[in-house]
Amino acid sequence: MHPELLLVLGLCGLATLALKGSFIEGQRHLQLPHWFREALEYVPPAILMALVIPGFIKGEATLITLAGPVWIDPRWIGALIAFGSYVLTRRSIPTLAAGMLGLHGSYWLQNLLQS
Amino acid sequence: MRSTSNAALPHSPLQAGAWAILPLTPGIVPFGLIAGLTPVQLGYHWLDSVAASLLIFAGASQIAAYQLIAEHSSVWVIFLTVIAVNLRYILYSASIAPHLSDAPWPLRLLAAYGLTDQSYAVCLKTFAARDFDLSERLRFYFGGSAVVWSVWQTTTLIGALAGQVIPLLWSLEFMIPLSFFVLALGTIHRPAHRTAAVVGGTVAAMLMHAPFNLGLITGALMGVIAGMAHHRWGSTHAS
Repeated sequence: MHPELLLVLGLCGLATLALKGSFIEGQRHLQLPHWFREALEYVPPAILMALVIPGFIKGEATLITLAGPVWIDPRWIGALIAFGSYVLTRRSIPTLAAGMLGLHGSYWLQNLLQS
Repeated sequence: MRSTSNAALPHSPLQAGAWAILPLTPGIVPFGLIAGLTPVQLGYHWLDSVAASLLIFAGASQIAAYQLIAEHSSVWVIFLTVIAVNLRYILYSASIAPHLSDAPWPLRLLAAYGLTDQSYAVCLKTFAARDFDLSERLRFYFGGSAVVWSVWQTTTLIGALAGQVIPLLWSLEFMIPLSFFVLALGTIHRPAHRTAAVVGGTVAAMLMHAPFNLGLITGALMGVIAGMAHHRWGSTHAS
């Protein structure tokens, strides 16, 4: 393992431990300001979606790199199908499965139509 | 209503904690597999996956960290993203602290490391309903945390080893944004959350070529501000 990678992972681990232990360790001394508590509520949807959208549009799927381009980026179709599956089921495993099936189904269908 | 006796407990507090958390473990499995598989699919060794899992022990942030490392993001962006993804633990820590903060410091440290979405949910519910003393609370908590930790480390290891033999043509890297998508959708309960998500995602997409991946942090910040503004605007207009 590369020492720099270990250092980054160690730093991330320490930061996570500090967050988890913040009040367990310092309950008597810490008090969160109201605005901060309010802001915390919006952090998960904002940061997670900030990770999601570029992941759906940046670069290209390995599938395309290895097997060639198609008309419509299959990641967009996979994402749409995953969203539909989440709306219907509200469960993670069917959503992940639907997204992957959407990616491959739409890619290979377009690939077939193009050839 | 609080029970004054623990006679109804089918097992010792340690076993009861483990049993109480078991039904929640199937939800951990796919994310554990993805967290293990991600670094390997991005070109890292399977031991790197295991190291992240042991050192960070917080699923979504492990995946995010490796995605950003692979994109050669600045260390600060990686560090801030991990903090942002894990900020919810401050709230968990604040809620669970009254039940655990009288423990000796090595146990408090271990409890902090073992804090997860699942252990938080199960323990808070149980501690409110049962009149446990500190020792029983700790044993219940560690019983549950040990199960989550074991399932997470095992599935991460399986994912990391499987990642070495799964062909790249399967495009499993798509599971990374997909898994965040599932997690993100699960955090949207009110219109203001939706605003935070839409603004966060849109700004991050618009700035996705910004240096050091700063678009991610900017998007998240703008999303939080937009969510708060929506909430306040809604409150003002409702009153």
